[in-house]
Amino acid sequence: MTPVHDLPPVIAAHDLTKTYTFHQQRAGLGGALKSLVKRKYETRLAVDRVTFSIGRGEVVGLLGPNGAGKTTTLKMLSGLLYTTSGDLQVLDHTPSDRKHDYLRRIALVMGQKTMLWWDVPAMESLLLHKDMYGLSTAEFDRNVAELAELLEVEHLLNVQVRKTSLGERMKLELMAALVHGPEILFLDEPTIGLDVVAKARVRSFLADVNKLRGTTILITSHDMDDIEALCSRVMIIDHGRLQFDGGLDDLVRTAQPRKLVRATYASPVEADQLNGLDGVSAVEVSGPTVKLEADRERAGFVMEQLTRLGPLVDLDVADADIEDIMRDLFLRRSTLGDAP
Amino acid sequence: MNALVRNLRVVRRMTAADIAQQSVYRGAWIIFMLANICMPIISLLIWRTALASGAQLPVDERYITTYFVLLGVVTMATSSWMAGFLAQDIRLGKLSSWMIRPASLLAGFVANNLSEKFLKLFALVPMIGIVWWIFRDSMNIPAGPGRWALFAISILLGAMLVFTIDILIASLAFWMDDVSALVQARVIIASVLSGSVVPLALMPEWSRGFVDHQPFRYTVSFPVEIVAGQLTGPELLAGLGFQLGYVVVFAAITRLVWSAGIRAYSAVGA
Repeated sequence: MTPVHDLPPVIAAHDLTKTYTFHQQRAGLGGALKSLVKRKYETRLAVDRVTFSIGRGEVVGLLGPNGAGKTTTLKMLSGLLYTTSGDLQVLDHTPSDRKHDYLRRIALVMGQKTMLWWDVPAMESLLLHKDMYGLSTAEFDRNVAELAELLEVEHLLNVQVRKTSLGERMKLELMAALVHGPEILFLDEPTIGLDVVAKARVRSFLADVNKLRGTTILITSHDMDDIEALCSRVMIIDHGRLQFDGGLDDLVRTAQPRKLVRATYASPVEADQLNGLDGVSAVEVSGPTVKLEADRERAGFVMEQLTRLGPLVDLDVADADIEDIMRDLFLRRSTLGDAP
Repeated sequence: MNALVRNLRVVRRMTAADIAQQSVYRGAWIIFMLANICMPIISLLIWRTALASGAQLPVDERYITTYFVLLGVVTMATSSWMAGFLAQDIRLGKLSSWMIRPASLLAGFVANNLSEKFLKLFALVPMIGIVWWIFRDSMNIPAGPGRWALFAISILLGAMLVFTIDILIASLAFWMDDVSALVQARVIIASVLSGSVVPLALMPEWSRGFVDHQPFRYTVSFPVEIVAGQLTGPELLAGLGFQLGYVVVFAAITRLVWSAGIRAYSAVGA
């Protein structure tokens, strides 16, 4: 598969593999007692020979159903997990070495884990990061002011974290993650549980961070709106394998090669008027409205034909909703292309 | 910036934040302090009563009194409560949020212990002071500053030993689902073998060789013995040597186990 970027890579993974070993235990007292004496261990392949590279300044969405291997990949990239095999270089470091120079250039935000101290104001956690990352007072003050303004959280910095809402807390988490100006930001479900307003604010903030600071962002999310709003490129992982790596438009074209067409006429249309129209499917006629799917290559011809059926009131041509595409993909567990 | 300086700054910042956080839970703080002071005082009264009733002990009343008056301070100063918390952080994947930041993973636990001691000192020192004043005429109080200096050094080494043992036990959580039984077993064994419940001087003669040389003696009893007992110069030096040796050996084992554990860490949870 051809990479969609031509920037120097800051992340390079080759045949990245991770396996977990765990023991199985049957439910109930019998199972518990049996496991005391004899345990059956199994190995699970969480990430299977994944190869990709990401250029500086890219915003990439890492997608896949639950248990596909997204978070495991993110954890290997951020240095939390050792790889079982394969090569992994991030900012010219092996992440699992967790060298100071590496850790000060990255940040990981996990939607369901906090970096902030719960019982004290967020400013205490920010000051801790000032010491951890060795920021000068001037640099720290400048970053805090800039991030607080972008996130609109100036009034929350001196409030106990436990007294803030979920949305406010996520903004503060992002602030803590970015106060040292990381070159790469790993985000694991950053908008999980947030309301629509908070989600929009977080998305717009991340877009600003990427634009203003050139921060490379790798994001996992089940919210396709996050992906559409932020990512020019997506990677789909399923059963630990990289199934797709390319632009969002390519994904839509590959997964859903048909356009959705909806035509509304001034008067009702008969179904047999559409007979003989090539390259269309899923035709639905309801009074003056015709809905159908047209081959992408023949969409122009189909629309021309539709204009001849009668006086048009409205004509709408769209790609399938990305959410629907992903749902279909995950349900089908289909292979979209050759993994690199 | 030098890594040591940076980590010291982090520990300082974390200690301050921990003090602020623990101050929120004043009730728990008071209960912990009362627990620290109550047991030695009750033990002191029991053993003094036993002596007054004619009990034949291998130590005199002055030793017993000094021992239990100092016990609260030494137990507090060398204690560590982090094994359970660290094991839980490993098991639930909470260690992850510290692993992605450029500071020692132990900084938080060092800070937590320091803040606990700082807060307890506020109440413990006046309380010990009162007990000291009450029993001042029946205590062994070393004349020169030498013994007190050795007492302070020994407390520091004892604290390091307890801290290291705690990390070692907690590190087993990298492989075991639950180490709470081990943590509990350590607490029970240590309370007897450290001299927190009964002075080791009162242990049976046949157990002397083991009792005098096992590591838990050097977490509580040995520092107290420096002030309360009649240790000779060579005994003092040998004791400090043993204490330092245990710190080094446990630190080396813990470092090995911890490093292997980090490789096995599964960072559970999203």
